[in-house]
Amino acid sequence: MNFSRIFHNLNYVVSALLFLMGLYAVTVKPNIIKKLIGLNIMETSVFLLIVSVGMVDNGVAPIVTEGYRNALEAGRVVNPIPQALILTGIVVAVSTTAVALSLCLRVHEKYGTLNAPEILGRDVL
Amino acid sequence: MNLAARQPVLLVAVPLVFAATCPLWGMWKRRICFYWALGGMSVTAFLAWSLIGKVSQKAPLTYNVSGWRPPWGIQIRIDTVGLLLACTITAMSILLLLYSYRYVEKEIPTQRIVYYYTLLLLIFTAMLGCSVTGDLFNFFVFMEIFSITSYALVAISGERRAIRAALKYLLMGATSSLTVLLAISFLYSVTGSLNMVDIGQVLERMGRTSSPYLPVAAAAMIFFIAGFCVKAAVFPVHVWLPEAHSIAPSPVSALLSALVIKMGVLGIIRTLFTVYGRGFSSFSEVWGALATVLSWAAALSIPVAAIMAIMQTDLKVMIAYSSVVHVGYIVLGISVLSVQGFAGGLFNIVAHAMGKGCFFLVAGIIIYKHGFRRIDDLKGLGRSMPVTAGAFAIASLSIVGLPPSAGFIAKWNILYGCLQQSQYIQVVLALFGSMLSAVYCFKVVYYMFFTGSNVGAKMDEGPMTMLIPVTLLAAGTVFFGIFSALLMPTLSNAARVLLAR
Amino acid sequence: MGKVTSSVLPSIIVFTPWLTLLVAALWARSRPRTSRGLYTAITVATGLLILPMYGIALDGGVVRQHLVRVVPGIDLAFRIDTVGFYFGLLLAVLWIAAGVYSLGYIHERHTRYYCFLALNLSFCLGVAFSANMFTLFIFYELMSLATYPLIIHEETALARRAGLKYLIYSISAGAVILAAVLMQYFYGDTLSFLGHGTLSLAKVSKPVLLTIFSVYMLGFGVKACIMPLHGWVPDAHPAAPAPASALLSGVLLKVGAFGIIRVLYDVFGIKLLRELGVGLPMLYVASFTIIVASLFAIPQTDLKRRLAYSSVAQVSYIILGLFLLSPDGAVGGLLQIAHHAFMKGTLFLCAGIIIHETGKRDIADMEGVGSKLPLTMMAFSIAALAMMGTPATCGFITKWELGLGAIQAHRGYFIVVLLISALLNAVYYLPIVYLAFFKSKETIKFSKRETRPSMLIPTLVCGVMVIVLGIFVTVPGLPYSLVKVVVNAVF
Repeated sequence: MNFSRIFHNLNYVVSALLFLMGLYAVTVKPNIIKKLIGLNIMETSVFLLIVSVGMVDNGVAPIVTEGYRNALEAGRVVNPIPQALILTGIVVAVSTTAVALSLCLRVHEKYGTLNAPEILGRDVL
Repeated sequence: MNLAARQPVLLVAVPLVFAATCPLWGMWKRRICFYWALGGMSVTAFLAWSLIGKVSQKAPLTYNVSGWRPPWGIQIRIDTVGLLLACTITAMSILLLLYSYRYVEKEIPTQRIVYYYTLLLLIFTAMLGCSVTGDLFNFFVFMEIFSITSYALVAISGERRAIRAALKYLLMGATSSLTVLLAISFLYSVTGSLNMVDIGQVLERMGRTSSPYLPVAAAAMIFFIAGFCVKAAVFPVHVWLPEAHSIAPSPVSALLSALVIKMGVLGIIRTLFTVYGRGFSSFSEVWGALATVLSWAAALSIPVAAIMAIMQTDLKVMIAYSSVVHVGYIVLGISVLSVQGFAGGLFNIVAHAMGKGCFFLVAGIIIYKHGFRRIDDLKGLGRSMPVTAGAFAIASLSIVGLPPSAGFIAKWNILYGCLQQSQYIQVVLALFGSMLSAVYCFKVVYYMFFTGSNVGAKMDEGPMTMLIPVTLLAAGTVFFGIFSALLMPTLSNAARVLLAR
Repeated sequence: MGKVTSSVLPSIIVFTPWLTLLVAALWARSRPRTSRGLYTAITVATGLLILPMYGIALDGGVVRQHLVRVVPGIDLAFRIDTVGFYFGLLLAVLWIAAGVYSLGYIHERHTRYYCFLALNLSFCLGVAFSANMFTLFIFYELMSLATYPLIIHEETALARRAGLKYLIYSISAGAVILAAVLMQYFYGDTLSFLGHGTLSLAKVSKPVLLTIFSVYMLGFGVKACIMPLHGWVPDAHPAAPAPASALLSGVLLKVGAFGIIRVLYDVFGIKLLRELGVGLPMLYVASFTIIVASLFAIPQTDLKRRLAYSSVAQVSYIILGLFLLSPDGAVGGLLQIAHHAFMKGTLFLCAGIIIHETGKRDIADMEGVGSKLPLTMMAFSIAALAMMGTPATCGFITKWELGLGAIQAHRGYFIVVLLISALLNAVYYLPIVYLAFFKSKETIKFSKRETRPSMLIPTLVCGVMVIVLGIFVTVPGLPYSLVKVVVNAVF
């Protein structure tokens, strides 16, 4: 395995690690807040992935100026769509988190705990 | 401005505008919200239903949002499957709103009624958006909107179990959404496109040149299916469904079971067939394996979920498990890869929407009138509530899949599709499951009609606004069972196009 | 071959009984007596509507009606051929008898009872008149469900258990039939009844055909109570009210047999069945059922339970006749449908009168019933004698034809089965007659008010029919003439 290859793709490696970390937290951690943090870590990992896809070394934005022509010829124009995507993604993530946190608040109010197994143990279906 | 040409986008825009303005009316007078929502959905329903006959799977109606041409901009693309769902959603929405009119007054805290209607409009908007969009990321965004809205709707009553159910639903739902987003980003990184049809073409080219990035696309396919399966509550990732669907207010339960889980199915159809279908040759192994796994999971879920349903004592939990059974039928039909099975699966989307909608609404009427949730409490309700109980009995024909109901036609086609693909074990499992379904459905019918009365024999029906939707849905299951020819040929054509490779 | 006519009559006949629901909705609460009269009138009207097709049926003609296309390639359609007409007419006659009888017998929950009685008639007629297996299956399933309220009508714990058992059996059977229909459609490409077999060895391999055949038998065998699928029968019959038991035994069991007839003549065809060699095994199954069910009947102490076991045995006569695969055997089997309907109808209606008037269900208590209910017990005795195959009753005709059929099929030894069965019938029927008439201490009194006329008249009519069918066998219009047409067309 070539070390520099890993280094060049560091973004992707980190993104994968983050995703797994987040998934671990969501599935294993008993505390609901920790689960939510895990969820956010997962989200971040996906955003990192998308941004990395759109990144070009020393690239310029696709805005038509004098420098754009040169960059276009050298193939160094950044794709703006991934950034637009993650902006939308962030909005979605924030609203999910907001709803989740407000639900957590209510759960804590009603059950007096944030421990998932304990909450599930009560009022068995 | 040419409105007719913009009809596809209006299908999403109209309910969105109504949703956004709904709280404003609520500030003035709460009651107006209901009429506002009903009016909005009636307009939308007209928009959706007037497209019938103008759309086919081969020649979908398209509209480029803000004039951006397809591979770059968001494209609205209404094909038969999308229109089928759009029509189902709009029709159900009107019935559900009508039903809610009296129901929410009693079962939902007064100050939240405005939010209730707003959220309903929003969830309809988002589901319509999912049905008509041709853009993968746009699909994701709409999916998130209806997901978040449904978390809120599950919790809207404020009971502690409802909040717990909503949180459980949210954790699973959000994780699955992220899986889908991950898949989208994988696909985008290798194809550079978000338009479903365009991705399909790119993948086809990549397959021809045996691009080194194909494994990434294959991985994305697995993530897509995993994510959408959670949304559709396919066994064994259905665990969030029974609690969320049973604790939500009844019209919301009906909405979730009848429509929202179908969006997961739509996701499976869109990715497995529109996106990956064309590039089939280059994925045949992974693609085939996925379809096989899906069909097995679906076939197994039918008897297993039916047994779970039999074991329940709470009416709504039982109905919720029955939804898992029917998602099993739908996914089995789709994943068995035969035209007739696929058409049967699509037909079951409609059949199940009517049958399960009716079930939950009946449960709602009983809760509204008597507060009964346990099946044992339903004794003799057939005498005091003949319309409600009768509707349940008729809908249960469809849920069990007995003739002459829509559920039977769906089951027939799905099983025939399985036979065509020599999936004999699936046929046996599905038939066995339908026998078990008879047990839990007829148990309720038995308690309602053939046991001594719990509440007296005096006529004591629910309000008209609740009876009308229930009756219409029950009648619908029989109507589409007899006149299934209104739908089946169209659906078969759609299935043929989707399965063509 | 007769001519094919198109008409809307079939669906009118099938849906006429639904008027009962309308009547019930309008007047059940306000005018209970009038509405009950109307229910019976509707049944009679249905029967009258069937009659016009007599001429066509006797010529071997067919009346068709296409209703709606359900799935591409599959239609909901009616087709009245001779055997369908024969069965439909029988249904109507027995339903009229049971309907009139019910006026006297049923004292509670009238509306539910009559509505489901009418729906049942409608669905049974649908089975008889269906033009393809799909339509047949739909009406068969509906009929299965609509029978349930009749069985548990009295809502006793016993009836509930019987009803549950019935539902489990018939819903499982429904799923099995569905599997068979699917397989038939998949391999045979059509479900239509064309008067000859649509499957053939040229298109489908032998193991597949055998599978389809066995699955069909397994499915229809539940209603036709072929042992060991008969489990629900001895529970359901005693639990149901007498007129409903009469219908159950008289025709509802035969709906299963009718399904088998369709499978035989319109799905496989005689030639294919001979090639497959399924006749002999089925004959053994039928013989086994006839003898074992008769043996089971002997120790039963409950009158209706004994009659129920007798029905299990008698329905297998039909199966026996059909699977002899010889013309005379088929005549015997088909005749048995009507003949047994009248014999067992009489017996169950008599049992109903006994239970209604004396409250006695146990056979040991039948002492002297004959002196109290002389007319009833005379009808009972005639039917019991017919069951044994006494000449000049319809039971003899069936046995005679079956015997001829066995010889014709070079399987003469099956006559032994018939003889043993007759003997066993004597063993379990004669003691009842003996107890009723000859152990009596009182003298026989023909009182004017033996029981309500609404109950007595249908019973006596059925009893008379047992003799009429045994003497005036070949009179046109009676079963024999129709059955001959069917058999001539098939063989």
